[in-house]
Amino acid sequence: MLEVEKVNTFYGQLQALRDVSLNVHDGELVVLFGPNGHGKSTLLKTICGLLTPASGTVKWNGKELTKVPAQKIVEMGVVYIAEERHLFPDMTVLENLTLGAYNANARKLRASNIEYVFHLFPRLTGFKNRLARTLSGGEAQMVAIGRGLMSNAKFLAIDEPSFGLAPIVRAEVFKTIAEIRKTGMSILLVEQSTTEISGLADRVYLMEDGRIVLEGTEKEVLNDEHVREAFLGI
Amino acid sequence: MFIGGIVNGATYAIMAVGLSLVYGVSRVFNFAYGSFFVFGAYFAWLLLKIPHSNFAIAFIGALIIMFALGLISEWASVRPLRWKPKWDITTMMSTLGLAILLNNIALVVFGPSKKVLPFIVEGNIHVGGFVITWHEIAVVLISLVVIFLLELFLKKTRTGMSMQAVSQDMTGAKIVGIPINRVFAYAFALSASLVTISAILLAPKVFFSPEGGWDTLCKAFVIVAFGGLGSVRGTLYAAFILAMVESAVAFYVGISWVLVVWFGVLLIVLAIRPRGISGIWA
Repeated sequence: MLEVEKVNTFYGQLQALRDVSLNVHDGELVVLFGPNGHGKSTLLKTICGLLTPASGTVKWNGKELTKVPAQKIVEMGVVYIAEERHLFPDMTVLENLTLGAYNANARKLRASNIEYVFHLFPRLTGFKNRLARTLSGGEAQMVAIGRGLMSNAKFLAIDEPSFGLAPIVRAEVFKTIAEIRKTGMSILLVEQSTTEISGLADRVYLMEDGRIVLEGTEKEVLNDEHVREAFLGI
Repeated sequence: MFIGGIVNGATYAIMAVGLSLVYGVSRVFNFAYGSFFVFGAYFAWLLLKIPHSNFAIAFIGALIIMFALGLISEWASVRPLRWKPKWDITTMMSTLGLAILLNNIALVVFGPSKKVLPFIVEGNIHVGGFVITWHEIAVVLISLVVIFLLELFLKKTRTGMSMQAVSQDMTGAKIVGIPINRVFAYAFALSASLVTISAILLAPKVFFSPEGGWDTLCKAFVIVAFGGLGSVRGTLYAAFILAMVESAVAFYVGISWVLVVWFGVLLIVLAIRPRGISGIWA
């Protein structure tokens, strides 16, 4: 399980995370939502070792992650799927996926993982030899998630997977995430829109101004006065 | 003249690819690149002085020594600055300092007089109306093999792919768990070995001395700028084109004009198409 405790992360002088604490139990799908620019991506990047917090702890199955180098964190099964995707533009989809299995553990299971990824995204076989830079938003998102799965992840930190995608494609993405979740994957999902992920989350956190301001089940959070006013316009 | 251009083109290609690789992978401009060139030649020269030595021993020995020197240099002068503010400037200053340091060490250890490496193979053959030396043939063959092996390394090995990954999207590389610092170190070391190969191939024609590396750095830089930073393909094309241009200028106009032309090309590239022939980015 993932335990984040009192994490403070800065960008230079600017404080982006203030005493943030949350957790994700094994097999849970937890949604982190809130307005843009309030620290959600920063938190995910801090968890996955792309940013170092000034204070606080991030523990995965009891092991402290903040002092561990990013490549080791991936090896431990904690994988980040970025909003910007960060695919390798001049490599084919297949090469991107193969590189996803860079770490030692993932390499052993590469064949079976590739099979799983193509099973999850059947359309991938159609463009597996295309260069990543030629992909559409939806195709790139498939590859980004697929590449994350290739790393033999036990925990996925998914950052706004539906960003910039057409509604039909968004629905597909969430459907796929639901399927991945069924395999027992622990997922921390950052999303802006609340409607499309209805029914998906075990628990929800609301983040504002770099702080966790609310926590509960989806029903509890969506019924909260403040949330209804600020986000749902009710 | 034409043959000279081709021969030089092959060697220049290897010479420039090293610089392109380091810059493409780590965005660090290695000012000590010329010093590595000279040191590579010096080590080969040293190794040839050992009794019962031969070209193969000197070649492979120098490669390995320079790879190690590359690793040490990166660890000492680039890595400490890598993740600090303004690293793109500080690393340039640091490698410049390294260049001065290495040049002075060379001066003290090897002396200021010019040295020369023997030709790989002696003798020449007559083809058509031309005279080609066996050395030139050997140079082209070795160069082609090296370039082929390099492409193989970059496209088929895990480490090679990781270097390409880091140069295409560093954050993406972190996301898939590639050890960025280690990749930087290997790229730096690999470039030291590559420039050593080009030094050994070029040295018989070009005397080398402690300060002789600056010429190499300048030419390599122009080739890389012309071919496009970070693009190995572009660098290869640029190396051959510029080698031919250089040969033509030396033949028709005069040797003293050669460097002028090199800088002229650089100015034109920067003015018209900073990205080069096929650069990944400007």
